[in-house]
Amino acid sequence: MIEVDVQGTGNSAVLRPRGRLTMVTAPQLRAAVAEAVDAQRVLIVVDLSACEFIDSSGLGAIIGGLKQARQAGGDLRIARVGSQVATVLQLTNLDRVLRPHDTVEGALHDG
Amino acid sequence: MAVEDARVRALEDLGVLPTGPEERFDRITRLARRVFGVASAAVTLIDRDVQHVKSQEGRHLDAVPRHDSFCHHTLGTSRTLVVEDAAGDERFAGNPLVSGGPGIRFYAGHPLEAPGGHRVGALCLIDDRPRRFTDEERLLLEELAGWVQEEMTRSRELQQAAEVQRALLPSRWPDLPGYDVAGACMPARSVGGDFIDWYRTPDGDLALTLGDVMGKGLPAAIVMATVRGAMRLAGRESEPGDAVRQAAATLYEDLDGMTSMVTLCHARLSPGVAVLRYTDAGHGLMLLVRADGSVGRPQRGGLPLGVLPDQEWREDRVVLGEGDAVVAFSDGLLDLCGGSPETALDEVARAVGASASSGDVVRHFMALARARPVVDDDVAVLVIRRDR
Repeated sequence: MIEVDVQGTGNSAVLRPRGRLTMVTAPQLRAAVAEAVDAQRVLIVVDLSACEFIDSSGLGAIIGGLKQARQAGGDLRIARVGSQVATVLQLTNLDRVLRPHDTVEGALHDG
Repeated sequence: MAVEDARVRALEDLGVLPTGPEERFDRITRLARRVFGVASAAVTLIDRDVQHVKSQEGRHLDAVPRHDSFCHHTLGTSRTLVVEDAAGDERFAGNPLVSGGPGIRFYAGHPLEAPGGHRVGALCLIDDRPRRFTDEERLLLEELAGWVQEEMTRSRELQQAAEVQRALLPSRWPDLPGYDVAGACMPARSVGGDFIDWYRTPDGDLALTLGDVMGKGLPAAIVMATVRGAMRLAGRESEPGDAVRQAAATLYEDLDGMTSMVTLCHARLSPGVAVLRYTDAGHGLMLLVRADGSVGRPQRGGLPLGVLPDQEWREDRVVLGEGDAVVAFSDGLLDLCGGSPETALDEVARAVGASASSGDVVRHFMALARARPVVDDDVAVLVIRRDR
């Protein structure tokens, strides 16, 4: 099982999945995003510093979260991406819709 | 009789009778015997005349004539049959299994239903001493029987799904004079989300696709069939960039609704002029291996399908010299080749250089996958080489 630390302030939430973000654990991230959006925390930052591996289902959960956040008038941004995650984002060209930020702060304040 | 015919056919359709003992059923009988503390626990299947023992734990049970069996009586009702002391029960006291050999005194069985509702067998508990069976125990036995039933159904449906999916993959490598084209696709489970496809277009080109649907197993396989269909429809008439755009537009709503996405690369080879036009949708795992050993990767393409609506995909082209090869593969191959795209691309380039034919390259990677005790992801590979 994956742990998703959630830190919410105002209209933002920082989600920090730990371990492997795969088909098995992706639903937990989806649920955490849905919960944040339901609580009007529509500016979501996924801090990936503790995520050691991501597969296509994990990416799918993040893209799904991005759509959900945007539909609610917010956004989803990613921060502190490790090398495996960065490689996958680049390979799939998804770094064009999910530009990795160096810090959570930077992601929160990105215009 | 017609009802009995239908019942027997329902049992045969499950396909569990000829397959003998299977661990996924043995696990349940083992658990049942331990939980209830009885001499034997078994999964029985009843055809027209015989009660077969699919799985058993504890004291050995043989197949018996149907009408002697306790489970035959269980089939008469949708509820659990409990015989706390067979010797004192007029229905069973004279039964050869009670008065003779095995000396059965206690029996509890819950019927197993095929998907259409026909009762085809039972999960049963047997002991040679009389025993009380509480309401709580009845519930537990019923739960376990439900588990057996699910296993029976799932295996059958998956097997059928796997057959259908195999039929959606090309059965033969294309026969294209001047070129050597080969490919293969191996799902990690019974079915999967990777696919390869090729077909001739009306103007004589060869269209080729390699796709990878997010996830694995049955959900991915259902999406895979849809994506393949949409790509075929668009790819017959349209150039690669347009074909991907059209298929993506067709599929967007469905993929969005399923929160799924697909990476793929699609190409069109004009054999006469040796031109390959191709489009990449977030797949990225493509390689050009020239006859002189030099290796090139395509420029970055577009997004996977299902990420954003109304996207465009660029189309690139490469002229194949004699002996040049283009390879596409799915990310399942990364696990077989050191884990990272870089090591995999190196390994693929090396394999292409070292192989006499495209078929050899494909067989090399499929053998690597099969040699793995556990394959975590679907593996697909597609190789096009112009003859020397």
